Amino acid sequence: MMSGEISVVIVLLDMALLVLIGPLVTGIIQKIKARLQCRQGAGVLQPYRDIRKLLRKGTVQADTASGFFRSIPVLVLAATVAAGALVPVMRAAPPVFPMGDAIMLLGLLALARFLTALGALDAGGAFGGMGASREMTIAPLVEPVLMMVVFSTALAAGTTELGALAAHRGTSWILSWRAADFLGFAAMLVLLPAETGRIPVDNPDTHLELTMLHEGMLLEHSGPGLGCMLLASHARQIVTLGLVSALFFPFGPTESAGAMGLLLGAGAFAVKILVLAGFLALVESSYAKLRLFRVPQYLGVGFVCALTALALRIL
Amino acid sequence: MSSPPDPAILLTGTILMASCYGAGALTLVLARWSGRLAIAAGHVAALAGAVAGLGVSLGVLLGDQGRTLTLPLPVLFPFARLSLSMDGLSAYFLLVISLVAIAAALYGPAYLRAHSPDAGRARQAAQVLALNVFLGCMSFLCCAGDALTFLLCWEGMTLASYVLVVSDDRDGENARAGHLYMVMAHGGTALLFIAFFALTERAGAFDFAALRAAAGGLDATTRTALFFLALGGFATKAGVVPLHVWLPRAHPAAPSHVSALMSGVMLKVAIYGILRFAFDLLAPVTGPLPPSWGWTVLVLGTTSAVVGVLYALQQHDLKRLLAFHSVENVGIILIGVGLAMVLCRREAAGVALATLALTAALLHTLNHAAFKGLLFLGAGSVLCRTHVRNMEELGGLARRMPWTTGLFLLGAVAISALPPLNGFVSEWLTFQALLGGAGHFHGPAGLAIVLSAAMLALTGGLAAACFAKAFGVTFFGRPRTSHAEHATEAPASMIAGMVWLGALCVVLGVAPGYAVRLLDAPTAALLDGPGASAVVSIRGPLVLSAELALTGTGATAISMTVLTALLIALAALAWALRRGSSGVARREAPTWTCGMSPTERFDYTATAFAKPLRLVFAALYRPRREVTRETAGTPYVASRIHYYGEVVDVAETQVYHRVQRGITLLSRIIRLRSTGRIHGYIGFVLGALFVALLLFGVGR
Repeated sequence: MMSGEISVVIVLLDMALLVLIGPLVTGIIQKIKARLQCRQGAGVLQPYRDIRKLLRKGTVQADTASGFFRSIPVLVLAATVAAGALVPVMRAAPPVFPMGDAIMLLGLLALARFLTALGALDAGGAFGGMGASREMTIAPLVEPVLMMVVFSTALAAGTTELGALAAHRGTSWILSWRAADFLGFAAMLVLLPAETGRIPVDNPDTHLELTMLHEGMLLEHSGPGLGCMLLASHARQIVTLGLVSALFFPFGPTESAGAMGLLLGAGAFAVKILVLAGFLALVESSYAKLRLFRVPQYLGVGFVCALTALALRIL
Repeated sequence: MSSPPDPAILLTGTILMASCYGAGALTLVLARWSGRLAIAAGHVAALAGAVAGLGVSLGVLLGDQGRTLTLPLPVLFPFARLSLSMDGLSAYFLLVISLVAIAAALYGPAYLRAHSPDAGRARQAAQVLALNVFLGCMSFLCCAGDALTFLLCWEGMTLASYVLVVSDDRDGENARAGHLYMVMAHGGTALLFIAFFALTERAGAFDFAALRAAAGGLDATTRTALFFLALGGFATKAGVVPLHVWLPRAHPAAPSHVSALMSGVMLKVAIYGILRFAFDLLAPVTGPLPPSWGWTVLVLGTTSAVVGVLYALQQHDLKRLLAFHSVENVGIILIGVGLAMVLCRREAAGVALATLALTAALLHTLNHAAFKGLLFLGAGSVLCRTHVRNMEELGGLARRMPWTTGLFLLGAVAISALPPLNGFVSEWLTFQALLGGAGHFHGPAGLAIVLSAAMLALTGGLAAACFAKAFGVTFFGRPRTSHAEHATEAPASMIAGMVWLGALCVVLGVAPGYAVRLLDAPTAALLDGPGASAVVSIRGPLVLSAELALTGTGATAISMTVLTALLIALAALAWALRRGSSGVARREAPTWTCGMSPTERFDYTATAFAKPLRLVFAALYRPRREVTRETAGTPYVASRIHYYGEVVDVAETQVYHRVQRGITLLSRIIRLRSTGRIHGYIGFVLGALFVALLLFGVGR
């Protein structure tokens, strides 16, 4: 296996693209959900309008919050977007200069989550603490399983760099899928709602204390800070979807070829993201949110799938 | 380095280090005139010793590879010749010790003054003296060239740290912690004595070269038995589950800069012992190490990592929580060590992977020393300003102690293995080594290794949860008691100690390649392989690359430097976006609490924060809680609710309490036979002698 290498410009372009279309994916999911519920729903561009409005608003900050509070949205956004730089969007090859791999990507997402939880505790309200506590309960259970899925793919390729993984799978992945891939993908589908903060694990549409995980942590943010946090959560969602597509359905040029190849890669990426977004919307419309203490059992299904995938790959 | 340093300079440095730590004894003299002067002088001596140690270790590590520096010591005993010998491994551990010792020496004087201003001069002088003895013994233990020096330093280290544990707050709990520590440490030491003396008896000498030669003639069973004896002794000191129960009691009891040394450094000395025994003294002359060694260490490491972090999550005493995290991190180090033991001395691919695993373990040793030292010093700042260790009584310190808060946050991010700091780097290397090992072995062994990787991921996630709790509850929100409300920033010299370790965390995180170069000598010597930087960092110090091309599986490269630059650029961009767009001024308002006036009672507590995980892992924790309601007249109106919750350590209840009951029972039986008459005792002694002669006296 010999793969070409992709220039840094394209990596940064990938990253910018992910951030820019992140809100659109949320808009599309909301629209599909609305139609499934026989509603008209807001336009698919609504998340952009929300963020633009928030960025123009003033800030109301809790009087008990410390000096760290203001920098948290900025850092969370930076960490999430940096994770985006590690996802191959239009390419299926590693960049010229190494940046990070799948473990680093998960680490950056964990950093964003850690900082978000700290921000929630800063203002000192009960809701923030509740959200942070629940989020930090679910996250350590999701992470190892996610890591196992990554390992099950990485073991075949001998690397954890996503571009190199994609290159290893090659364009004929559909023919080379084995049982381990199917099981790993099944585990990923179980984990996807948990990692993107959607039903049946979390509910992004409500601030009710019975259901909230992620939203509870955002309560004390306002104005541009909240805008950054929202942008970060859209980015996080598309980065997770991008991780799935890079692990299981890579497509794109393996070297810095012409604009045609890149466009083709981008188009394929859009299709993959749309399909996964449709899946999320479908799940969200057809299931109820689980009780918090049922979530570990739900994640257990993912764990078993990932473990079997690993065992099949190794044994 | 263009020319390797002259051995003479290094020897002078070693002697300088010894005399500096020795000069700590001056405190006892100086304390007659001025307590303040004595404390300052003792810490200056420690600082000078640590700087000398740093110089010597860097000289050895960057100098000629494979050269061993030896220094005969004055003859103390007629039957043995004492000596120091420093190879790459010794120098690396000396480096770890010296780096943290510098921070502790900077931090110590102000801490001792601020924490216990009314302590007597004699007590403080004794503490400072014990600190110097402690540091000196640890430093020389790593450079010991013979069994006797090793054991003498080992015992000195234990006794000095015992003095420091029981001398800080002289209450019953500390005394009990010290007692438990003493008993367990000496249990471990006894095992070491057996292991060492079994070897010295065969060798007829004490120096390591003779022991190595003697071990060459051992049969496989004896070799393995000796290894497990030594492992038991070292694991007790390292706090490996289930031998960890003394650690979370003893470490928090010492003064905070000593806690930093005990957790950050003393445990590593035990790791040094394991490495020295497994790869050097007891290793077979040819062929791989017995598989049972490596697998045992790997399983012990994985268990310690998960169990340590799970118990840490449920602690509300800040220093105790940190002590449990030391159990976790020793586990992570042992995962790397165990994997290296399993893989070493096989074909080239195995050696390359073993080098990677050992590099990960040794790097984590250094990283853990840096961030755990930093966290303990941070906890010490909080303690000396509030006199409270229970985080439920803290809160709101971020506004009152901004420097401590920022530095503690740095340590928290590092220990949670989050990029871009150093904890992530060594865990990343461990992950790569485990993945490579799994691919190398295939079959059930491979699956076991990859499950260990999954457990490591779980550990990382739980550590992040734990530090979100510890940091958030201690430093954020409103102050819960007046202790926390009236806290002020720690003195500058204490901040300086923390800044030193914080800077280490950042440098080791952003440019880890430089640290990997330091590992060339130890890894090459222990594994007889290519050395760390041949396997890890191929393209210069800015790229961290787990080069597994040797194993035929490929390579993964990351660049912490580039990623950090990207993070900073993105944060600057986001900051600009936020600033540029906010037209309306910022205003402050009370936190939203559904219309009630907010008080500190609304803040989430540490107990509440950890509750969901307490229920998820209830099988391990076996949580107990009692809620009593006091009602006023009608049962529907509660005037007061008392809550009491407890999580027990399973190792303690299931193992230690049973052993304790057994010992109590035994001593009761013995007491029945102890009549107090001298004839009876003489009879017992004669009987025992007779039996012993019958059993062992025949062959001679």
